[in-house]
Amino acid sequence: CAHGDAGCHLLSVSDLFDRVIQHSNRMHSLSSDLHSEFEKYFLPVRNQIGRATHKCHTSRILTPNGKENAQRTDREELTQVILRLLVSWMDPLLQFHQSVAHNEELSNFSSNKALELSDMVHELKSGVEKMAEKMQLLGIISNSLNGLFPAEASLSSSASNEARHMRDYELLRCFRRDSDKVQNYLKILKCRIVPEHGC
Amino acid sequence: LFVQTWLVENTGHTSPGKPVLLRCRSPEKETFACWWQPGSDGGLSTNYSLYYTMEGSREDAVHECPDYKTAGLNSCYFNKTYTSLWITYTISVVAQNALGSKSSDPMFVDVAYIVQPHKPENISAELRTQDQKPYLMVKWDPPHKADTKSGWITLQYEIRLKPEKGAEWESHYAGQQKQFNVFSLHPGEVYLVQVRCKPDHGFWSEWSSTTYTEIPDYFRPRDTSVWIL
Repeated sequence: CAHGDAGCHLLSVSDLFDRVIQHSNRMHSLSSDLHSEFEKYFLPVRNQIGRATHKCHTSRILTPNGKENAQRTDREELTQVILRLLVSWMDPLLQFHQSVAHNEELSNFSSNKALELSDMVHELKSGVEKMAEKMQLLGIISNSLNGLFPAEASLSSSASNEARHMRDYELLRCFRRDSDKVQNYLKILKCRIVPEHGC
Repeated sequence: LFVQTWLVENTGHTSPGKPVLLRCRSPEKETFACWWQPGSDGGLSTNYSLYYTMEGSREDAVHECPDYKTAGLNSCYFNKTYTSLWITYTISVVAQNALGSKSSDPMFVDVAYIVQPHKPENISAELRTQDQKPYLMVKWDPPHKADTKSGWITLQYEIRLKPEKGAEWESHYAGQQKQFNVFSLHPGEVYLVQVRCKPDHGFWSEWSSTTYTEIPDYFRPRDTSVWIL
């Protein structure tokens, strides 16, 4: 949307923030729904639930894990952390959808949700990119966003069904956590940059 | 084992029963606390210790509770220094007396998902009128410990009200707003108003303290019906 186009409404930074925050909120609730659905389906392995058996593939991305850390992280870095997290989930979520779609024990419902989740992460990533560009244009953040190197997910193609379920379950647990991080960092950024809008 | 059996037969004392971890809660996503229920003490003085490990740190890095006092009886409090989000804590409680020890089942906790805020504060209900009809403008503040200004925690609110003599509460979801107007009130009644709050994913706070407001009688609509005789 170029400047001055007829019918083209330029969104303010705070509108952009509200949009991506809403989007990340939907993404988190969707992942929570799927997560609970997995818990229901795999009761036999319930004693595993909650246990952090595997590290999340995104655990290599350093993310502030408390309020003070997050507040010390500058705008550029926080934006970058958000983007890195999102980029790192694009491929694993596609694979996750395929795994769910081929799983006869799970409903179409789950499969559709998995696909939706995969689309959402793409959309959110472009939304945050647009917002970052806008902030760079306005001089709110510097142009020094470094390249984004996604953290590789090592999804082993395990043989047994149970192992596969566990892997999918773990993946969801990690994604739910990361989408909560993303949402939280977006809100902090928003309140730092446009504090007058609902903070 | 032999010694233990001998002691049981002769004194009625036993090793402690299994303690149960009840719950862990964080009021503001910055600190948290866990509470447990002791099992039987076996008739002996029994000590309780809480141990935890954190995901990502070395397997054998077991820590003991940093503070058994702040959160009350049978509790452990983790201040800001000991609190991280988006990390799974594996927590268990060990009961120990002279005859042995017993560990609770472990509890897995991510602080991001155990948030239950304190109650909203400074609830006020102001009587106003619109088109000669009364309405209540209810306002409140978030719990002062929750840092909503920085965006670290976002709260949603629910308000409820009822006439003093009424049995049923009328509830309204207020979203993230910190005020809400309530219409259709009965004149001549004293209304009780309460507010509670909830983070995005977490638990509702308790209901706030009650604010009482009287809707004066002079708002009673005049009898405008016409008798046809």
